[in-house]
Amino acid sequence: MIGWNRNIYRSLIFLSFIGVIALMLFGIGQTLSYLNTGADRTSMLHLALKKDEVYLPKVKWEDTLNPGRPIEKQTLQDIEQDYLNSWYIRNTAYQTNTIEGIDDYYTKSARKNIIKLVQANSQKDIAVHSTTINHNIELDFYSADGQLVVLSDKNVQEYQRVYKGEKLLSESKIQSDYQILLMLEDGFWRIRHIVKEETYPLDTKEQGNTFAKVLNGKIYINDNEYQIKGINYYPQQTPWNMFGDEFDRNVIAKDFDIMNKAGLNTIRIFVPYEAFGKAKIDTAKLDKLKQVLDEAETKNLKVVVTLFDFYGDYSVIDWTLTHRHAEQIVSAFANHKAILAWDIKNEPNLDFESRGKENVLAWLKEMIQQVKQYDPNHLVTIGWSNTESVHLLQNEVDMISFHYYNDIDQFNADYLEVNFQNKKPIVLQEFGLPSSRGFWNPLGPSEKKQAAYHKQFQEVIKQNNLHYLSWTLYDFEEVPEGVVGKLPWRKHKQKHFGFIDRKGKKKAAFEFIAK
Amino acid sequence: MKFNIRHIVFLLAILLLFVSISFTSVLKETENISGVLLTKQTTFEAGNNIKLVFKLNIPARTDLLLHSSYGSTMIAPDNFNTGQFTIPEFISYKKGVVTYTLFHDTKVLTQGSICVTSNEKTKVHLESYIGPPSIIAGGKDYTMQVVLPTDSYDNPMPDSTAVLMKHQFLSIEKERMIYSKDMIGWINIFSYKPSGRLLLFSKVGNTVSKEFTVDVFPDLPENFTILPQRRHTYADGNQITKFITSIIKDEHGNIISDGTLVDFVIKDTSGALLRTQGTTISGQAIAKMLHPDHEETWKVKAYVHGMAESDTLEVRYTRVIEDFDVQFREDNREITIGPLMSFMEQLIPDGAIVKVNVSKEGKKLDILVKTSSKGLVKFLLQEGFYPSGTYDIDIEALGVRKTYKNIALQ
Repeated sequence: MIGWNRNIYRSLIFLSFIGVIALMLFGIGQTLSYLNTGADRTSMLHLALKKDEVYLPKVKWEDTLNPGRPIEKQTLQDIEQDYLNSWYIRNTAYQTNTIEGIDDYYTKSARKNIIKLVQANSQKDIAVHSTTINHNIELDFYSADGQLVVLSDKNVQEYQRVYKGEKLLSESKIQSDYQILLMLEDGFWRIRHIVKEETYPLDTKEQGNTFAKVLNGKIYINDNEYQIKGINYYPQQTPWNMFGDEFDRNVIAKDFDIMNKAGLNTIRIFVPYEAFGKAKIDTAKLDKLKQVLDEAETKNLKVVVTLFDFYGDYSVIDWTLTHRHAEQIVSAFANHKAILAWDIKNEPNLDFESRGKENVLAWLKEMIQQVKQYDPNHLVTIGWSNTESVHLLQNEVDMISFHYYNDIDQFNADYLEVNFQNKKPIVLQEFGLPSSRGFWNPLGPSEKKQAAYHKQFQEVIKQNNLHYLSWTLYDFEEVPEGVVGKLPWRKHKQKHFGFIDRKGKKKAAFEFIAK
Repeated sequence: MKFNIRHIVFLLAILLLFVSISFTSVLKETENISGVLLTKQTTFEAGNNIKLVFKLNIPARTDLLLHSSYGSTMIAPDNFNTGQFTIPEFISYKKGVVTYTLFHDTKVLTQGSICVTSNEKTKVHLESYIGPPSIIAGGKDYTMQVVLPTDSYDNPMPDSTAVLMKHQFLSIEKERMIYSKDMIGWINIFSYKPSGRLLLFSKVGNTVSKEFTVDVFPDLPENFTILPQRRHTYADGNQITKFITSIIKDEHGNIISDGTLVDFVIKDTSGALLRTQGTTISGQAIAKMLHPDHEETWKVKAYVHGMAESDTLEVRYTRVIEDFDVQFREDNREITIGPLMSFMEQLIPDGAIVKVNVSKEGKKLDILVKTSSKGLVKFLLQEGFYPSGTYDIDIEALGVRKTYKNIALQ
């Protein structure tokens, strides 16, 4: 027994010795690593602030001729960057009522004014969410030593929303002229004076659609009336990832043939916001989109392009980034003959609760103007997920689109509400029934039931002379989590909406795809 | 408890009263409230108390949204349910157009704008920016004087504010009245022919700026000449020759800036290049070089790189000795050279270089180099290095060369 005890003591002493050593080493290591932390030396160069592009309103240098001295390209870029940052920082300051970063972009005497305003607003619990949409800058003066500039920023469109606590007090868009004096301090172009010189009523350029247009509730393409008989389209192998690495023009061409043969004339496709590169469009993806549109043109199909798929921020401070995204895509295809309409966003009303209805609607309203500005030729719509939302932004869109997955027998009643006093074409942009009977849904509809559903819907459509796009051409193998979540029974349902099953066989419903 | 009809009537009356009050207030809300700005003045000088009075057809709770140069805010009326608003100082003190929107709840009643101008009655403040801080004489280069006049609320003064710009240079004093535009007044001041110091100053109204200084440096140097300065002309390898430039000036006759680097390049008869440098003081640079230790003719040229150069100077050095003694001792293994005597037959100062070339059957074996001490140099050809045999010995000192063929070493 004594021997045992001794061994136990020995091993205890031994283990505690190891433990103490380990603790000491750990302690020394922690101390050393703590001593190595601290401000990164590169922070002296102010590089980090400029790394991410967070604010990209449309900037145009109208004129850089000035009596002081000719300006260098590099300096112009620096001034532009810092000037935009000053707006961004200011907008953020009034939104959050903090003064983070103000020091960097406003001189000591100028920042006082902002601080006072922030203090006043924060006392009254007022928050101003704002952004500028465009800047048209003229260089009035650049000093010989390159340390001082005077700019005139004309017709600056500002959007702002004022909140008191949680309550939205006002929403407005203002267009003003500013004159700004900036100085180069510590490597930053800082604002010394800013004077608002003039305020104008907003330019509302209402441009007629030249390629596709709407007259008395009817769609016309090249002066011929156009009835949408369409389908929502993803290639079978790459649902929700149409423009990825597995993009294959031949597959898409074959699918277009199938649609043509079935008597369809329109498709709806989706452009995901992040996958397309957000504010900096991935040109390879843009090229793939062009191939799809070109193919559609040769196959005589019209395309409704849904933008901003999977986008969900909507905050005012994020606006300019989305504007640049839209600008690059929309202006690239402004003259493309295959496009019928730009669908700004798929089912944005589903974000009302999580993102705030006023946030979403304001973003949509401005985005419609942006899209129309860059492409006056095509129509604009929004794909609402239900019939309750269709009255929103009715005057801004060219055609009204909604989705319908409720009971088909309810449709006529619901549609009456939509059609009430409406002079714009109404598009039933998504509808369908999954033939999802199987392990995850033993009582679900069968293929027969799906066929009956589409047959009935076609009759309803004929009755109401509706524009329609059904969901969707194919059954899918895989549905990404971002679409309906992780739950297998939900995914299962989403996989069986097609008119053609996974093996490529036409289901019973195919007969009623277009008639 | 007994109820009689009077109680009931009374209660009913009270109920009716409440209902009617609540209905009227509901009705009031939905009625058309409108507001008109009564204040006629729309332009205000900064710093004044700005009151905007709106006439409301029905007293109601209103808010005023203000959008100014530096941002937006929302203000409440001075008294509840009135239409009088006092614009907060941080807006009424700042120049620019102020856009106002009158709200009742979220309904816009009226909107418009007022203008705040800079206050010319207050004391003017001046900010001056001068740059570049140093320029070059001659009238091509210039410095820019930028003046930012502001009122005492830090608002830029309006365009066409008179700014007096003044400067002094040597005996010149000039002034010019200019008128501000785009927030600033500015002039270019070109340099004069002489170098020196330019003092600048500006004035707006009664406000004077402080004094600013701009240095006017001489222009680029012109070509110059160089002279040697030496104790004697002998190639003793001991004395030092100084090369001195003439006073280097720019084209306007200004002595170039002190510290300008002058590079002297010396080419000897064999074509080798020697270099020495000096910086100017009062326009003159001095560079030094050790005398050669043999008869030599140097060609010297000085450069201010990229700007100016001197003419070429030829400097001759004569040899100091015609001959020297050589003694072979210890079976010819010890060679004593000297005494080496200089131009006045004095012993050459210590440190004169003597070279001995040792060769055997036309093949060079070694070069031994030593410096003189008290006029003598001694070389030992040790057995371990030089086995017995006959060697050719070639001795060179101070430009004199002596050759001994077939020296037998034991």
